[in-house]
Amino acid sequence: MPTRSVGQEFVKGLWDENPIFRQLLGLCPTLAVTNAVINGFAMGMATSFVLIFSSLVVSSIKKLIPSQVRIASYIVIIATFVTIVDRIMAAFFPPISKSLGPYVPLIVVNCIILGRQEAFSSKNTVGRSLIDALGMSSGFIIALLILSSIREILGAGTFLGYQVMGAWFKPWIIMLLPPGAFITLGILLAIALQIERKTKSRA
Amino acid sequence: MELVAIFISAILINNFVLHYFLGICPFLGVSKKIDSALSMGLAVTFVMTITAVVSWVINHWILMPHGLDYLQIVSFILVIASLVQLVEMFIRKISPPLYQALGIYLPLITTNCAIFFLALMAALRNYGFVQSVIFGFGSGLGFTLAIILMAGIREQLEMADVPEPFKGAAITLIVAGIMALAFFGFSGMIK
Amino acid sequence: MNLSTRMVVVLTSVGLLSGSFLATVGLLTQERIALNKQREIEEAIIQVIPGILNSQKLYEEKDLSVYGGMNEEGNLIGFAIRASGIGFQDKITFMLGTNISLTRINSLTILDQKETPGLGAKITDRDSFLKYWEDKDCSNEIFLHKPAVSSPEELSPTEINTITGATISSEAVLNTVNSSLEQVRRLIKEGKLSSEEQGAN
Repeated sequence: MPTRSVGQEFVKGLWDENPIFRQLLGLCPTLAVTNAVINGFAMGMATSFVLIFSSLVVSSIKKLIPSQVRIASYIVIIATFVTIVDRIMAAFFPPISKSLGPYVPLIVVNCIILGRQEAFSSKNTVGRSLIDALGMSSGFIIALLILSSIREILGAGTFLGYQVMGAWFKPWIIMLLPPGAFITLGILLAIALQIERKTKSRA
Repeated sequence: MELVAIFISAILINNFVLHYFLGICPFLGVSKKIDSALSMGLAVTFVMTITAVVSWVINHWILMPHGLDYLQIVSFILVIASLVQLVEMFIRKISPPLYQALGIYLPLITTNCAIFFLALMAALRNYGFVQSVIFGFGSGLGFTLAIILMAGIREQLEMADVPEPFKGAAITLIVAGIMALAFFGFSGMIK
Repeated sequence: MNLSTRMVVVLTSVGLLSGSFLATVGLLTQERIALNKQREIEEAIIQVIPGILNSQKLYEEKDLSVYGGMNEEGNLIGFAIRASGIGFQDKITFMLGTNISLTRINSLTILDQKETPGLGAKITDRDSFLKYWEDKDCSNEIFLHKPAVSSPEELSPTEINTITGATISSEAVLNTVNSSLEQVRRLIKEGKLSSEEQGAN
């Protein structure tokens, strides 16, 4: 397999291997906390924290962990960082912690993180793993921002809490509810696939 | 009465998949055929019920008495990982064809947010032992219900003319959205 | 070191490291988290009993806590009742401020809710719901006025306003308020609240 440049290692997480739109991982929190941009952003940051640090640790000690216990070890490492981020949020950002609620601990089962450890950090250098984690995190945050912007603007007429739609706009409350989340993500996925097909056929 | 409320609520009103957005990965992955959906659903229900029991025991006998709440996340996920491992070995022994059918999805139950969320919620809401078990069993059934319904619809969709970009995950999500809308009608069933 | 030993050693070390890390973070954040919770409650009490200098917890059980608000002379001038009840989706928790004879409601503030955004969640909004709770007569039961009105003047002192499209959430708050007031009256009668009634009604 040809080695990618550092730049490519980062960029792949943004589109080609975007965790949500292309790999379809981490959908649970994506649907749950994207009802407002601030929530999507906070969740993105929290997940990135866990992903980056877990990747750093796993990549540093990958030679020490026997293969049979690797999944268990990854899980403990990931769970540790999730607990840390959950506690820090509860202590220093109580209102956000309240909005995100039980979905922060759910980062532990976010397939993106475990997936990256198994597929990348356990097989690459610390440097590359860091870049990979940064790329995946950015892709994840971007996807969350897109989804939550659509849902907040159409569902409440606001963006980050500020009114952006005029008084003429009757919010589509459904966007803030589960059905809206599912349908919006479905449509976005279809759009992403369509863009992918168009660029492939042009290449 | 309260137990009935928890049970019905978990299956219909606060359905883990359609209301809390849990278990989406297996929901998208295993809902193509009704029989594999059923197997996955039952396996998940089984793991969920046992998880409810074990996590309650660990939480109330070990963690809380010693003020070790912050170890909940790590403990619960380890419990789930071990349970799935045991269930996997169990199924492989008693029914190899079932084991083949479930394939990769069995270990994937570990990262099924639904099970982890269950353990967390039961702890957060301070459910007693029986309540936790009912909650676990009910949520599992809710998941099974959602995934079977989805499989039924998808089997029909196979014969429909779905536009290319929508095939697979996209159309499944849209169908899920419509299902979620339908399930919304159950809200307010329990006062 | 053979494989089995190695596996055990690695798992144990990872576990121990994780545990110590978490214990440290847990201890560091514990106080802060408890403080945040306390501050939230104190702010709510001050909001619903105007003019108090400090407060004191008089009673606590699972879904009900009663606080007394004292003015600068140390006289009890009102109660703040924190109660929880099941709403449309999940539990709703609020802080209700009353006078010491439990005949008048000062105001109501919602502490926690998971109702439908845009509908039931409007119970946290002052203009849609909370302002109709200000200065109400609660010597007896309070009632819900349906359909919704547009200004507090249209309601009698024993009525509160519904939120259009969120009757269940509005009713849930109402029922929990009525029942918690009943409970507190009973507690006072049974002498379970330390009552240093020196203030005026």
